[in-house]
Amino acid sequence: MDRQYDIIVIGAGNGGLSAAASACCRGFRTLLIEQHNLPGGFATSFRRGRFEFEPALHELCDVGEPGAREEVGALIDSYGAKVDWVKLPEAYRLIITGEGEEPIDAVMPFGKQAYIDRMEEYVPGSRESMEKFFYLADCIMAANAAVAAAGGKADPKVMMREHPDFLKCANYPTAVVLRRLKMPLKAQKILSAYWCYMGVNMEDLEFGFYASLVHKYIVNAAYIPRFRSHELSVAMDKTIREHGGTILYNTLATRILMEEGAPVGVETTHGTFYARHIIPDISPNAVFGDMMDGGRDLPEAHIRAVNARKIGGRGYCVYVGLNRTAEELGVREYSYFISELSDTVKEQELAGTFREHPMQATICLSNAIPDCSPPGTCIMSFTTFFMKDIWSGVTEREYTAKKREVAEKLIRDFEKATGTSILPYIEEIEIASPATLARYAMVPQGAMYAYSCGEGDGLMARLQMLDEDQRVKNIRFASGYGPRLYGYSSTYMGGDMAVKLTMKDMKEENYEKV
Amino acid sequence: MKKFNFHVKPIGLLDMLHFKKMVPRRRAILQSGSLDPITAVYGVNRLAQSLHPKQQKAVVSAIIPRRDANTYVLRADKLAYFRAGQYVSVKLKIGGAVTARPYTLAASPARALEGEYEITVKKAQDGFVSDYILKNWKVGTEVTLSGPEGPFSYEPLRDEKEVVGLAGGSGITPFMAMAYAILDGIEDFRLTLLYGSRTKADILYADELERICAATDKVKVIHVLSEEKAEGFEHGFIDAELIQKYAPENYTLFICGPRAMHDFLARELPGLDLDEKHIRREFVPAPASPTYFGSYAGDASKVFTLKLRFLGEERQIPLRADEPILTAIERAGIAAPSRCRSGECGWCRSRLIGGDVFVPDSMDGRRLADAGAGYIHPCSSWALSDLELEIFPE
Repeated sequence: MDRQYDIIVIGAGNGGLSAAASACCRGFRTLLIEQHNLPGGFATSFRRGRFEFEPALHELCDVGEPGAREEVGALIDSYGAKVDWVKLPEAYRLIITGEGEEPIDAVMPFGKQAYIDRMEEYVPGSRESMEKFFYLADCIMAANAAVAAAGGKADPKVMMREHPDFLKCANYPTAVVLRRLKMPLKAQKILSAYWCYMGVNMEDLEFGFYASLVHKYIVNAAYIPRFRSHELSVAMDKTIREHGGTILYNTLATRILMEEGAPVGVETTHGTFYARHIIPDISPNAVFGDMMDGGRDLPEAHIRAVNARKIGGRGYCVYVGLNRTAEELGVREYSYFISELSDTVKEQELAGTFREHPMQATICLSNAIPDCSPPGTCIMSFTTFFMKDIWSGVTEREYTAKKREVAEKLIRDFEKATGTSILPYIEEIEIASPATLARYAMVPQGAMYAYSCGEGDGLMARLQMLDEDQRVKNIRFASGYGPRLYGYSSTYMGGDMAVKLTMKDMKEENYEKV
Repeated sequence: MKKFNFHVKPIGLLDMLHFKKMVPRRRAILQSGSLDPITAVYGVNRLAQSLHPKQQKAVVSAIIPRRDANTYVLRADKLAYFRAGQYVSVKLKIGGAVTARPYTLAASPARALEGEYEITVKKAQDGFVSDYILKNWKVGTEVTLSGPEGPFSYEPLRDEKEVVGLAGGSGITPFMAMAYAILDGIEDFRLTLLYGSRTKADILYADELERICAATDKVKVIHVLSEEKAEGFEHGFIDAELIQKYAPENYTLFICGPRAMHDFLARELPGLDLDEKHIRREFVPAPASPTYFGSYAGDASKVFTLKLRFLGEERQIPLRADEPILTAIERAGIAAPSRCRSGECGWCRSRLIGGDVFVPDSMDGRRLADAGAGYIHPCSSWALSDLELEIFPE
C-alpha cells in the first residue's frame, strides 16, 4: 500500500478525525491510523441487547441550526460530513442534596433571556448580576474572535483599546468575577453547574473560558447526533475517504521515526509509513513515552514540561437500558447535575476519593430522542469523574465489585434526588471505569479530561505558548491534550488548528507536498 | 445590556499586568516537572492490559476426555481474570485457512489468577474446527487466545438473586464457571440448573456438578434426558412446565445451548410470563445455511466473487452464498478479526463497498449508524451478489 504521506494523524478520536478531514480537504496526502476497530475514540457507541448506548457525549455546543451554523457546526459542514443533529430540550437540571446545604433544584432553559428570567424566579434579585455576566461573556466572545482573526497574536494596545472589559475579567478565576458582580450566592451555584464538564473548580477555572462555555451552551443551545456519537464519527470517516484520505483501523502506532530532530515516519503494527508531519490525537505521554523512548532524546526542559502536566478527570460512567419509559419512571429532564455539595473546591477534592455520594452528570437520552430505544423502554447514563489516580490501586479480583459499588451509589443518589425508582427496571447495564477508558482509548490513567486546564494551564496561557509548547518540530497535537483543551467542540476545533499549525511548520521549511 | 464599569482590581492596568503574568507563571510550572522518563502507562493502564489483553498464549497442560468431547486445561504464567460466563476466541490455522472460535471459560475465575483456564470442545456436526482440535491438540500444544469477552454474566444490579440456568449439551460451560465462582465466593447468587443431555452418558461434567452441589446449597442441578428414561432424571426437553416446576418465585433465566434449543424455547418462554429483562441468552453461532431464516430470499446454491480490500491490498476470492462472508475470507487464508461469530460483538465490523448482503434481523448486532452507512458484520452476513468489502485486519 501507499507508504508516503504529507501528514500522518495518529488516533481517530474527535481531534484526529477533524485533523484528517481538514488535511484531506486542503489536498494533503493524509493517513489516519487508529488502534481500535472503529473511528471516534470516546465518540462512539455500543450495543447491549435491545439498546445502543452513547458512551460519552452529553451535549455538543457551537453547532447551530442549518443555515445559521456556529463554529463547530460550520467546521463539520465544511468537511462535508452529514450528521442528523438533534437539539436538546433544556440546558440542565441542577440538584444540590447535601445536609447543611441550601437545597437547590433548578431546571435551566436554553436562551439568554429565558435563562436570566428563570434565574430571577429561583433567585429573586439576581437579574442585574446575570445581565452583567452575559455582557462580559459577550465581551469575551468578541475578544476571542478578534484574537482568532489576528492569528492568535493580538496587539496588546489594540486589545486595551478595543476589548478592555475582556482584559479586566478574563484571566481571573470564575468565582472571583461572579463575587465581584455581586451575584447572589445561590445564583452563582446554579450558574456554576457546567464546572464538571471541565473538572476544574470555580476558584481556579479562568473566567474567560467558563463565560464563553456558558455563552455557547445557553445562547446557542446544544445538540447531539441522532444515532449516538458513532453517527458523527462514521460521517467523518466517510468524508475523509471521499477526500482521498487513507484510514487504517486495528493499527497501533508504536514508534515515531526521527531524523535530525524531526519526524520522518511512524512504525505501526502494520508496517512503517512515512511523513514529515505528524498530528497525534493522543497524549504527549503516549507519543514521547511509548513511541520515543520516554522522551530521552528531548531537551531536559521539554521532559520537565511534559511531566509537569496534570492529568485531568478520569472518567467513569454507568449505562442502563430500562424496561420502562422515562415518563413512567418520572424522569423528566435530559441533563442532570446532582451533587451533595455546592462548593466546587470541596467537590473537586472529594472527587479524588471513593466517596459515599459522588457527584454526577446524568443523561436520559430518551428525553432528547424518544425513539432511541424500543417502545416501553428508555436509556440513561450516569457519569462521574475521579480527580486522582485511585483506580490504579484496584486489583483484578476487586475490579468488578468496585465498578458496581460506584454504579449503585450513583443510581441510588439519582433516585433519592429525583424521587424516582430506577434500579428495579434495569434490563441492560454496562459500566465503564477509568480502566475501560484505558482499554479502549489507551488514555493515561483513564483520563477523560486530558491535561487539566486548572492550576495555570488554562486555554489562554496555552494559546499564548503555542510555539513554546511544540516539543518536537513538525509534531502538532490535535487531542484534548493540545492547546484547545478537551471536550467534543474543543477537540474538533483543535484538530483543524493542528492542521493550520502544521501548514505554518511546512511554510517555514518550504515543504513540498508528496 | 449597556456597558458598565467593571473592575476586579481597583485599577484597570493591574488587569493587564495580571494577564501578562499568565505566561511566565505557566512557564515556571512547566519547569517544575521531573526528569523521569515520560510514560503513558500507569497502574490503571496495567490493570486494563491485564484484564483485557489483545492476545494470550497458553499451553495445553492436561486433557480430560469426555463423551464426544475433550476438556483442555490451558496454562500460562499469567492469564487474564474474567467474569464467569465469558469466553475466549481461540485462533487457529487449519491447512491454508485461518479462523477462530469462541469457547467459554469453564473453570473458576480464581484459577485464571493462577495461570489456568479450561475450555471444553465438543464434536460438532460438520465440525471443521472441533474435529481439528479434538484430533490435533495434545498436551504441550501451544494455543493463541483473545482476552476474555462477552456479556453473558451474572449482574446483581440487574438480575434476581435466583438464577435458573438452562443448558443444552456443551452449553453447560458458562454455568460451570458460574457454579465454581459461587463456590469460591466470587459470585453471590443461587443457581438452579436445568441441564439437557441426550442420555446419562452424554452428560458433561457430571461428577464435577455433583461435587459442587454437595459443597454448596446455592447450586442445584436437574438433569433432563431427551433420549433416556432414568430414575432421578427428568425426561424430555426443557419446556415451560419443567421450568415452572423447579423455578423459585422471582428469577432470571440464563440460556446457553444449541440453536435448536433456543428455537424450541422461543415457543415455550411466552408461557412463563417473563419480560426481556429476566431472560439472558448466550450468543448462538450462525446456522449452517441462510435458508434457515424465513426472511432469506437468495439462492443459497450460488457462488459469487468477493473483491476484498485490506491494508491497501486487493484479492478476489470465491464467495459461497450459503456461508457467512467471514468463512470465505478465512478459507482464503486471510486473517479477519472476529470474536463472538454471532453478529453481536462487532469485532469483525467491515466496510461494504459494493453488492448486496442478507443480514437476518435476529443476528443483526450492528450499530444504527453502521447499518445506515453500509458496514456489516461478516460473521452474520451472507452474500446475495458479488461483493466488494474492506476489512481491517488486527
